[in-house]
Amino acid sequence: MAHRSHVLVCAGTGCVSCGSFQLGMALEREIQKHRLDAEVQVVRTGCQGFCAEGPVLIVQPDEVFYCGLKEKDVPLLVQEHLLKGRPVSKLMYMPPAAAAPVPTLSRIPFFAKQKLVVLRNRGLIDPERIEDYIARDGYSALARALTEMTADQIIQEIKLSGLRGRGGGGFPAGIKWATCRQAALHRSVEPILVCNADEGDPGAFMDRSIIESDPHAVIEGMIIGARAIGASQGFVYIRHEYPIARERLGKALVQARECGLLGQDILGTNFSFDIEIVQGAGAFVCGESTALMASLEGRVGEPRAKYIHTVEYGYKNQPTNLNNVETWANVPLIINRGAEWFASMGTGEVAENPWNGSSGTKVFSLVGKVNNTGLIEVPMGMSLREIIFDIGGGIPHGRRFKAVQTGGPSGGCLPESLLDMPVDFDSLTAAGSMMGSGGMIVMDDHTCMVDVARYFIAFLTEESCGKCTPCREGLRCSLDVLQRICDGTGEDGDLDLLEEMGGVMQDACLCALGTSAPNPVLSTLRYFRGEYEAHIRERRCPGGVCQALIHYEIVAEACDGCHACVNVCATGAITGQVKYLHLLNQDLCIKCGACIEACKRDAILRV
Amino acid sequence: MKLATVTIDGITTEAEDRTPLLQVAQRVGVTIPTLCHYPLIEPYGVCRICTVEVHMRGRVRMVTACNYPVTDGIQVFTQTDRVRRTRKLILEWMLARCGHVKVLNDLAAEYGIDEPRFGRGDDTCILCGLCVRVCSDVVGANVLGFFNRGTTRYVGTAYDEPSDTCIACGACAYVCPTGCITIDHEAEQIRGELPLGPLTPIYIPTMQAVPHQPVIDADSCIHFKTDGCRVCASVCETKAIDHGQQDRHEEIQVGSIIVATGFQPVDAKKVPQYGYGLYPNVFTAMQVEHMVNASGPNNGQVLLKDGRVPESVGIIHCVGSRDKNTHEYCSRVCCMYSLKLAHLVHERSHAKVYNFYIDMRSPGKGYEEFYNRLLAEGVEFIRGRVAEVSDWAITPMEQGKLVIRAEDTLAGLVRRIPVDMVILSTGLEAREDAAEVRRLFNVSCSSDGWFLERHPKLAPVSTFTDGVFIAGCAQGPKDIPDTVAQAGAAAAEAMALIDKGEVELEAYTAWIDQELCSGCQVCVPLCPFSAIEFNKEKKVSQLNEALCKGCGTCVAACPSHAAQQHHFTDAQIMAEIEGVLVS
Repeated sequence: MAHRSHVLVCAGTGCVSCGSFQLGMALEREIQKHRLDAEVQVVRTGCQGFCAEGPVLIVQPDEVFYCGLKEKDVPLLVQEHLLKGRPVSKLMYMPPAAAAPVPTLSRIPFFAKQKLVVLRNRGLIDPERIEDYIARDGYSALARALTEMTADQIIQEIKLSGLRGRGGGGFPAGIKWATCRQAALHRSVEPILVCNADEGDPGAFMDRSIIESDPHAVIEGMIIGARAIGASQGFVYIRHEYPIARERLGKALVQARECGLLGQDILGTNFSFDIEIVQGAGAFVCGESTALMASLEGRVGEPRAKYIHTVEYGYKNQPTNLNNVETWANVPLIINRGAEWFASMGTGEVAENPWNGSSGTKVFSLVGKVNNTGLIEVPMGMSLREIIFDIGGGIPHGRRFKAVQTGGPSGGCLPESLLDMPVDFDSLTAAGSMMGSGGMIVMDDHTCMVDVARYFIAFLTEESCGKCTPCREGLRCSLDVLQRICDGTGEDGDLDLLEEMGGVMQDACLCALGTSAPNPVLSTLRYFRGEYEAHIRERRCPGGVCQALIHYEIVAEACDGCHACVNVCATGAITGQVKYLHLLNQDLCIKCGACIEACKRDAILRV
Repeated sequence: MKLATVTIDGITTEAEDRTPLLQVAQRVGVTIPTLCHYPLIEPYGVCRICTVEVHMRGRVRMVTACNYPVTDGIQVFTQTDRVRRTRKLILEWMLARCGHVKVLNDLAAEYGIDEPRFGRGDDTCILCGLCVRVCSDVVGANVLGFFNRGTTRYVGTAYDEPSDTCIACGACAYVCPTGCITIDHEAEQIRGELPLGPLTPIYIPTMQAVPHQPVIDADSCIHFKTDGCRVCASVCETKAIDHGQQDRHEEIQVGSIIVATGFQPVDAKKVPQYGYGLYPNVFTAMQVEHMVNASGPNNGQVLLKDGRVPESVGIIHCVGSRDKNTHEYCSRVCCMYSLKLAHLVHERSHAKVYNFYIDMRSPGKGYEEFYNRLLAEGVEFIRGRVAEVSDWAITPMEQGKLVIRAEDTLAGLVRRIPVDMVILSTGLEAREDAAEVRRLFNVSCSSDGWFLERHPKLAPVSTFTDGVFIAGCAQGPKDIPDTVAQAGAAAAEAMALIDKGEVELEAYTAWIDQELCSGCQVCVPLCPFSAIEFNKEKKVSQLNEALCKGCGTCVAACPSHAAQQHHFTDAQIMAEIEGVLVS
């Protein structure tokens, strides 16, 4: 039975943690109360992307976007919009510094500039219902690939599309598939397909959201890949920190099997392929292909030398084709709409040689000091400025943009001068960063770049498996040097030493985690060397972050003696009588910054 | 086989495609430093010290030589500035962890590191993983593993508990490049007495062994403990090693047998007053013999259990010989071997050596002269029976020593002599299983258990069983020359018998009348020569005339008069008795 209206409640992890499940139930109760349940249906969708404003929902077909909802808003929403047909403007999205709220999805800049390919179904379907996916042309690409195309034709299509691996390396998927197929045929060994869903970068959640919002797209992509490569077994290696994604993927696999789209004799074509979910234990290094395969085999997740590629000798020495979640999710659309369509998006003439450019779109998780944090998908080649200022809505609190970190912990930090650089694989690499899996962390002028480098190196030191010397010891020694710069005890030769260590690590580490580990240090040294020098020579932290190099002062003219700072100071460093000037004892101050948050008159300065 | 042309530091060579680069470099004499590499173990590529520069089709890559497979046309440079800078920094990083390891400091000197920029750490493990890999991949014991990750990674055993699957093979200590793993000397002592067996699981039994081929001792071979190792098989070029061989029982038909089963030394614990097994530094002569052997456990050095060199040594003669409590006989060889040990111990350790003897028995060629030589060397001889060995010190001089209390019959007083080491000259006794062997071959033995010859003068190597001969200490205590002489005689006797090709039977053997035999089997266990067998089909006893010595036991015992003896039938004996009575 058709409904006149659908309420699409976001059930991505971000919104769920803001209470979207309770919101959905309240909506259903309220709808029932008004006897609208035959007319209005509540659908729980995957991540709709605008995580900063969660929980969010969309009322269709009006395309009205509501955000920041609470349970108490539900009666008003149902009564006004669903019953009386009058959209509730006070619950709509209010752009910063705008006069009126924006009612519809397509007019919100955050959504307007995006190009949804991988995320085509986000917010439109219930990810736990295969019918919803099929209704949106799901599995039609599979049918086409199985009945109308040969394996070589599929591979050729992927090659022509120029699709490059979305996991970070950017290796052309078509070439990888062809090599794997060749290796399997040459040795008469069954190839294996693996989907890498071990997304470990801090601040990155693209893969999780794709699986949460559209698991069948990944499954369909994998089946098409299996058909092209000739595999009958596949794995999805997913980290155990993603319970919702794992659950939805599990359900989707069951549904696909029930529909005859997975397992034995798919669609009656005599082709068989099945997928198994394997849980990782949460080691960052297991996102690296050889470590992932070791973990898949049940061994300790440590990488090995890749002089022999995993497409030849991977999982249990079988030729193994590993692609990232996003890569697989791209496949059905390429088959359905053709390589030409895909190649028309993005940069470069990829049809001749996939290395010539970056085609298609890329999903980013836009986080950090930006107004609209969330999940976005844009065509390759869009500039950083468009992403951060148009889609992201700029920097909050009127602060200045300082840097954007791309590519996760092993990526690099790019400065303002590179904001007009197009975002694609090769430009980012040339600038000393990398695409990575698509994390994008925006930093404002209250960020210390030395501290950022120190933070990422500390993260990598923690996550290094410790197998090879340069990564294990080099990261530790780099961290020591960075720490002493942050502590204000840096020495003159330290920057050269950091550069030397970075260079050797790039040359000598065993796996990509190690060779890319110096990127945060080298890129900040390249673009923000002055900040390092300020730390060492002037003993000053320009970002006002490094505790050893800053102190707090009370501005006598501004202080009205309100006592707010005295009340929050944990160490009793601030003293003074009400309505009289307060004093700060530097010896007791632990520089926690609580006073600055409490002061309403900007009477406390971080110097 | 696909060949690849490889140029290393200007030297062009050919190698099989995908051979590890390090192997090729070593073959052409280019030295590349390694730390985590060992030829028998799969390359691991983690220390990165073997990093070299590879130019291939215009691309420059830094790779690890140990596991990089060579391909056609590559050019390798092992000493460029980039390579040296990489190795130097890696060494500095390693020194930041293990600052005092010799192998690292030697390499550091080579790369011009005076003082590492990140300081020197106190660890000794560089986490090369050789120990872990040899334990799992080669030995197969899987005792060692890596724990934690990153900077907290370490090598250990499961749950950091002493492992009960460790077979103490020492392979981990052997491959450890930094000396981080050592074998605990005290733990070695827990294994008890000095091992008397072969020192390695593969050995050639004796210098004169025929065939002169090595054998594998299944008790100590790692392969039979863990099903792993097989290092010997991997290095044996002729592929001669077969771990699947099994013990076989073979039946061999022979014409004569020489029993030369030898002796066993008297268990020194049977003489408890000498403290063997109680004090660690009381040894048997056999243990010291093993110790002074140049290929023995101590490489020929005379050492106490704690590794010290003894300053004084007491040798007690006649332990288990010439003693009513053990054996009354003289073991014949102890005097001379004690003199030999006295000489060797004195020579190796320069210790003061005391001999405690009852009588000095040195008959034979050159023996007395040897005794005189020792007297001249300054070895002390004290004539008298030792009462006890104890660690009970009375004077400060005796503190920490073993005190031998003995009667000095020449000086006429009781002496207490403090020594570091006591050697017990244990005597010879018949083997534990001598009685079983004796029954098997139908050989008699003396009250001491030594096999008895047929006649001490006329037939010294023959026994009462035809075709069975004895030689060596199975017959009684004797030294090596006497044993060899006797063995020669036994061999000659055996040959003589075989050579003749036929055996003369006794004329007066018994026979069993099958018509009369009731099958009662009384005769079967009675026959001392096992000449009678019971025929189960015919249900009668049958006699093998070749074995029968004509003793007549069966004839006298047979209740149905079926057993008869040639020349001594009942009728003949009765007729004889009648004749005697008539006359």
